[in-house]
Amino acid sequence: MITAGIDIGSITAKAAIVDDGKILGTKVIFTGYNAEAAGKNVYEEVLKENALDKASVKKIVSTGYGRNSVKFADKSFTEIMCHAAGAYHLDKKVRSIIDIGGQDSKAIILDGDGKVKNFVMNDKCAAGTGRFLEVMARALEVDLDEFGEISLKSKKPSKISSLCTVFAESEVISLISKGEKRQDIIAGIHESIAARVASMAARLGLTEPLMITGGVARNIGVVSALEKKLGMKIEVSPYAQVNGALGAAFLAATL
Amino acid sequence: MKELTELKKVVSHPYAYIRKYKKQTGKKIVGYCCSYAPEEIIWAAGALPVRLFGTNQNIHLADTHLQSYCCSLVRGILEEALDKTLDFIDGVIFPHTCDSFQRLSDIWRLNITGQFHIDVVLPVKLDTPSAKKYLADVLEKFRKDLGRALGKDITDAQLARSVKTYNKIRALVGKLYELRCANPQIISGADFHAVIKAAMIMDRDQYLKILTQIIKQLQKAKPRKNRADAKRLVLSGSVCTHPDMYGIIEKAGGVIVWDDLCTGYRYFEGQMNEKIAPLKAITARYLKRVICPAKHMELRGRGENLIRLVKQSKAQGVVFLLLKFCDPHAFDYPYLKEMLEAEKIPFMLLDMEAELPSAGQLQTRFETFIQIL
Repeated sequence: MITAGIDIGSITAKAAIVDDGKILGTKVIFTGYNAEAAGKNVYEEVLKENALDKASVKKIVSTGYGRNSVKFADKSFTEIMCHAAGAYHLDKKVRSIIDIGGQDSKAIILDGDGKVKNFVMNDKCAAGTGRFLEVMARALEVDLDEFGEISLKSKKPSKISSLCTVFAESEVISLISKGEKRQDIIAGIHESIAARVASMAARLGLTEPLMITGGVARNIGVVSALEKKLGMKIEVSPYAQVNGALGAAFLAATL
Repeated sequence: MKELTELKKVVSHPYAYIRKYKKQTGKKIVGYCCSYAPEEIIWAAGALPVRLFGTNQNIHLADTHLQSYCCSLVRGILEEALDKTLDFIDGVIFPHTCDSFQRLSDIWRLNITGQFHIDVVLPVKLDTPSAKKYLADVLEKFRKDLGRALGKDITDAQLARSVKTYNKIRALVGKLYELRCANPQIISGADFHAVIKAAMIMDRDQYLKILTQIIKQLQKAKPRKNRADAKRLVLSGSVCTHPDMYGIIEKAGGVIVWDDLCTGYRYFEGQMNEKIAPLKAITARYLKRVICPAKHMELRGRGENLIRLVKQSKAQGVVFLLLKFCDPHAFDYPYLKEMLEAEKIPFMLLDMEAELPSAGQLQTRFETFIQIL
């Protein structure tokens, strides 16, 4: 049975199509200001790219902050449920998930059947989120996609002590004017996110194997800083950014 | 239901109601902030006890007196005192509970003029023989202090009448809890919240009349069956002043069937003995009722009470609503958590300020918690 998952995040909208557990295709576009239109567009595009028509898709589940604006979905689940379903499907052994998205970060614990046992969410500020990285990339005039690779060159990461995105940005600007190397500043930024996420996850008590999902998982610098902070190996999902949409598509098959 | 509409009007514009009430009746208005304020004595004195909830926006005047690590409740109440929103108040009562409220009392006394101000220095331990004697003396002193401030003697007959009124209100609210626990669909969470909150604002005789009508009608009403699959939850914490909270939880697929809140069942719980001297009866209830974490009575009393509430109400989970920077509640949380874990009762913690986290994130947390139950 072919099913679809639509994940409307704060920055990007994702769609995934699966057929009895097999991934047929995924798509990522920017959400923009109209979540409803983004859901429709990303769904149409993923169908087109995979030469499918709407009639062949039997069930659709929506997730993410815009889940309720996807009117054509059969049901919606929170992104926590969907990330759990997605990660569990990719690797049945996974017991913990860290999901760093555009506007929040979450840590999720799974039981042996892939069900969510417990979770925590950072929902107060942008520190420890993708948005934090975007602000820093702008201040440093570096393409966000290069952040991870650049930071790996650093031998001496800068110290970013402020937890607030706005203050951290001014801290970064003063580091720039002090002439600190770009790679060190970027590595420092990654360590600051890792510290923030790790302290949140510690309240939950993570167990291995641990998988990271969400758009920020694409940044190798954040992942390695987190591994150091947590003292754990982190499995990076090959479908990190679309993991929520994939999970939604898998959950759609159970409806 | 027109009675419900009336209560909702009072709750959404409490200060308008109180100003009008004061003008019409000439009664004195006495503000208080905590369910340990002996309001039976205030009502007996012919004054209206009004619970203060504070504002949740634009707190800036209070910030010149209180650090930002004081809870938003205390800061919000001080803000309304300083910006003269509460200028209709004739006097204010501060029972000794947490540190932040003690400091609020001091700041109030030094900065808000033209009102009387009474500290009620309650014991912290409530389960010792000396505490019993001491509390009786404190309440007797409060009766005299309040009488002096209002320029009248508070007689035993007045106290006895007040005890009766409060007993009736509390018994009826208890009935409402039971009705809703048995049939959560019988009254929406938002309406339920309005009935509870109005009890701390309105003329108590008028409230009792309306409440009696509401209960009568609810007992006759046939519940709608549309939320039969909703997950049953108990709310635990200090105050829940967000009328939206019940609605948000209902939208996420849950329903609040009981609570352990200062602005909830802790306030209504327990009857007073009408056969003994009224002040003795009032004292006995404050010694017996379920404590808040700023008081002490048996090491694990609060946890045992919470588990009992969950079992009695057949709840499937607990939602802790804790105000950020509320030390007494934060201090109790780890042991409550351990006790719930031992009983395999699922729970979630919402650490909040006066203003709720953004609606989307709140929805996600409640929905996930309810979906995994």
